[in-house]
Amino acid sequence: MRRRLMQFVLAVIATFVVLYIVMPVIVVLPASFTSASYPSFPPKGFSLQWYEKILDRPEFLSAFGNSVKFAVLATIGSLFLGTLAALAVAKYDFPGKTFLVSFLSAPLTVPQLVLGIALLIYFTPFYLSGTPLGFLISHIIITLPYVVRFVLTGLSGFDYTLEKAAMILGAKPWKVFLSVTFPLIRPALVSGGMFSFLTSFDNVTVSLFMVSPHMRTLPLEIFSHMQDAYSPIVASVSSAVILISVIFIVILEKIYGVGKLFSQ
Amino acid sequence: MASREHVYRNRLNWRETFVNFWRESRVGLFLLFPAFIFLIVFFLVPMLYIFYLSLMISNDMGETLRYGLGNYLRFFSESYYTNALWTTIRVSFYTTLLSLLLAYPLAIFLARSSPKVRGIMTLLIVSPLLVSIVVRNFGLYLMLIPNGFINQILIFLHVIDEPIKLLFTEGGVVIGLSNAYLPFMVLSIATSLYNIDPSLLRASAILGASPWRSFYSVTLPLSLPGIVAGVVLVFSMSMSAYVTPALLGGANVPMLPVVAYDEILNLLRWTYGSALSYILLGTTLILVTIFSRLVESGRFREVFR
Repeated sequence: MRRRLMQFVLAVIATFVVLYIVMPVIVVLPASFTSASYPSFPPKGFSLQWYEKILDRPEFLSAFGNSVKFAVLATIGSLFLGTLAALAVAKYDFPGKTFLVSFLSAPLTVPQLVLGIALLIYFTPFYLSGTPLGFLISHIIITLPYVVRFVLTGLSGFDYTLEKAAMILGAKPWKVFLSVTFPLIRPALVSGGMFSFLTSFDNVTVSLFMVSPHMRTLPLEIFSHMQDAYSPIVASVSSAVILISVIFIVILEKIYGVGKLFSQ
Repeated sequence: MASREHVYRNRLNWRETFVNFWRESRVGLFLLFPAFIFLIVFFLVPMLYIFYLSLMISNDMGETLRYGLGNYLRFFSESYYTNALWTTIRVSFYTTLLSLLLAYPLAIFLARSSPKVRGIMTLLIVSPLLVSIVVRNFGLYLMLIPNGFINQILIFLHVIDEPIKLLFTEGGVVIGLSNAYLPFMVLSIATSLYNIDPSLLRASAILGASPWRSFYSVTLPLSLPGIVAGVVLVFSMSMSAYVTPALLGGANVPMLPVVAYDEILNLLRWTYGSALSYILLGTTLILVTIFSRLVESGRFREVFR
């Protein structure tokens, strides 16, 4: 009986903690439908006016375009560099391998604030600060470690005799990669790519140091609106960001398992 | 004669080894090369470069005056900066403590529930991490404002009579940071709980231990590695968090990352800002190392072997 009671109390506490974790995301959605001129939860009345007003604000639309563009490019860059590196680490043996693997994940151990400061200072003499190229490089740095990790996980159960078999049957190395290796690591590439996209799309701290007044991403636009004035338009734009994240979460949960994304 | 032959053979072997090594690993090295160079040029060199800059003392026009530890000495001699460091450490400490207190029961619950419940709960816990931090901070803002959710609940429960000020206070930043990093703490502790052999708890019950005693002597010590990992992770992330202190603390809670941002982007003091970055990194590293050494050499040191 006492055991049952304990179990019940534990379940109640656990439910409240989970609610606390998801609450900040949940309250944004109803707040965006408010009919008042200030955001609140619970919202006052109901209207879609704050969604209509997004369309009158070109800065949000162009920031959204920038976010998508840079996230796609950074993901392509990271997938290219990261897949090659992960293949090298998983397949071949060379001295200092453990050191190299930890070097590949080193950008995750440095705070993004410090990384942003370092890149801004370093880029300026090369005229790269505030340019699209500088922004892209910084986002490849923060997404590359994730891609390496995803591909390494994908390769951990990889059967190399399949590659050998293809080679014995006379396939060229390029052909072996395309028709044997690539299809087998494709799930890892897709989930790694999606995670990389979201990481880049959501980033604020590194981006803060990389942007220029005429090139901003959506999270930065929300950030500066929040610093100036809290208008319900922040809620409607944020809801759009949440919708995108939810779509990615659903797909990632199906193909990879969201719970595994952050476990070491 | 014999020794010369020996030397000759050795040299041959060495050459052979090198050629063999090159033949075997050149493909690997070739594949690794792009990522490796990229990280050296755009990560390692910038990090070393700002360390070099931090040792350079310059005036506000950006002209170099001399080299030395002046930037670091200046930091520790001006109370504005040492206070910012103290605020950062204090807020990070409370954030870690609050996360630990909230995460532990949840992790225990996860460890005891069925795989299906565990899966759904994990999904709910991890998903917010995939939503941009600014969006979550906006939600937190709605919860922290005087007529916000948290105040309404506290008034409804008769804990308080009037709304209390949460936004732009240290308490608000602690709530915001713990909310953002709680999932990491839960996952770390839960992972170590999943690995506990259930027969240990059965053995302890058979030997006559009460559930509390079993928890204190079996579950808690065995979950220490997870606690240490979670504490280290949450504390380090809180120390260098910028967005949450900037949005929920503002000028009232000047944490070191906010100060560093200001020095770099508004005051353009790059050499001093570089020193601030390394002070932040160094302080975090020292505190985290002291903490894990203390726990790992404490009463339950066996669990870390």
